[in-house]
Amino acid sequence: MADEITALLETVGITPETFIVFVVIALVVVGAVVVVVTTRPILDIYPYLNPNAKVRARKGRLLTEKQLSEIADAKDIGEVENYLSGIPDYAPYLEKYPLDTALEVNLADNYNMISRVVPEKVQSSFKLMSKKVDITNIKSLISAKDVGYNVQQTKDLLIPSGSLYDLLEPLTEADSVSDILTALDGTEYASILEDALPRYEESQMVLELESALDKYYLESLLNSTEVPAEENSQILYSYIGIGIDLSILKTFVRAKQDGLTYNNISPYILTDGYQLREWKLKDLMEANDVSSFVTYLEGTKYSEFLSDALTEYEKTGSVTLFEKALDLHLAESAKSLSIKKPIGIGPIIGYLNKKETEIRNLKIIARAKKETNYPVSKIMELLV
Amino acid sequence: MVDIALGTALAAVGAGVAIGFAGLGSGLGQGMAAAGSVGAIAEDSDMFSKGIIFSALPETQAIYGFLIAILLLVFSGLLGGGEGLSTTAGIVAIGVGASIGFAGLGSGMGQGIAAASSVGAIVEDDEMFSKGIIFSALPETQAIYGFLISILLMVFGGILA
Repeated sequence: MADEITALLETVGITPETFIVFVVIALVVVGAVVVVVTTRPILDIYPYLNPNAKVRARKGRLLTEKQLSEIADAKDIGEVENYLSGIPDYAPYLEKYPLDTALEVNLADNYNMISRVVPEKVQSSFKLMSKKVDITNIKSLISAKDVGYNVQQTKDLLIPSGSLYDLLEPLTEADSVSDILTALDGTEYASILEDALPRYEESQMVLELESALDKYYLESLLNSTEVPAEENSQILYSYIGIGIDLSILKTFVRAKQDGLTYNNISPYILTDGYQLREWKLKDLMEANDVSSFVTYLEGTKYSEFLSDALTEYEKTGSVTLFEKALDLHLAESAKSLSIKKPIGIGPIIGYLNKKETEIRNLKIIARAKKETNYPVSKIMELLV
Repeated sequence: MVDIALGTALAAVGAGVAIGFAGLGSGLGQGMAAAGSVGAIAEDSDMFSKGIIFSALPETQAIYGFLIAILLLVFSGLLGGGEGLSTTAGIVAIGVGASIGFAGLGSGMGQGIAAASSVGAIVEDDEMFSKGIIFSALPETQAIYGFLISILLMVFGGILA
């Protein structure tokens, strides 16, 4: 047999050594093709393995429904603090700060952790999210100075976190809003606030400055993942986009309840959303009240769940239920997006939304417990 | 230059393919499982022992490849100075190496992905451990098939005879 093969090779002018070289080359080519084809999916998965494990560990430590209802059952705010002090994720924060601040710092630390561990391709969006605390602090400073709070009262409003905290903390001693704006020169917010300053000076309403900051944040977030090429970024873009649309809708609902017109609200709303395109937003601004606003939403994916909330709203007149419906929709969207990429951006989105919801729920409970005899059943209604 | 028979040289290529590709799959799989485990341990130090177990699972493919490579080297006469292989047996030896090599590559990567996911699931919910082990062990079967076929090829292809 071997002799026959050797003879056959020799008849076509191939020596045994050349034959081995051909075999080796063929194997190298086949091997290279196999390696390239099989490792390509790995390259997408690999950067997410470590961050996925980290967020899933934290997801496992989130409060269960039973724990949340136990907290809601607490007699007063002190009992809520005691309960949370027994939970390792909250204990270190409650040792340092009062409950409201502890919750905010905890959330800010989670944004920071995620923005540190996620792969570079999606990092910019999470870094922007971690800047939210800076914007909240600037808004708190501006509002506090506008109403004439003293240094301590202003300090109490600040969240001791964020990249600008060291700059913002001494500004609690500033005399006026314009002093704060001057001190912010050199930050990315300076030009935004400068543009909004004439409107503030004219109206003397801090809302002008606050909404300029909010608009800048939402626009930056929406643009951070624009035209995503790969699947993980696409999923993140969808999540961020839905979140932005829902935040626009929340502003609309509040504005419509207060009977504000197109001219009143148009400067504070993004010109273009994710699913809510420019023309739709203009349509929505034309709505006279909350009911017609929901009617104008028909044809969008947000109309269905808001129609249910409208029935409740017509009974109670409370926009809180609308906001709950919007938050619930975001939670459901996050859940369905998170299972699209179980080894990828999915668990990160899933965790982030659950953490935001947990902090939202705890803040609702904390607020309710500060009031005397606020019914537990009403608290439970507000929780997502 | 050492005088090596053509069959023996082909068996050497087979041995390289066996450990090369199986080792590649095992390395990638183990890297993925270890990356997931490190993330879990960073959040929960109790995960160390479980992380080690899941990270060690994709090691087996490299062991299979290594065993087959050693057997090929010994029975082809490269190690131990025995009689060299015929050209036909040498070609069979390439099949032997390819069988465990490619099976080990796929199996190792699959096991790595499953193990990394399992570590994530366990750190979230400790009760997932046994289920995680079962799912992570599933991709082992492809490596076992490759290993068995390699042995059968060696036995009936005249290498282990």
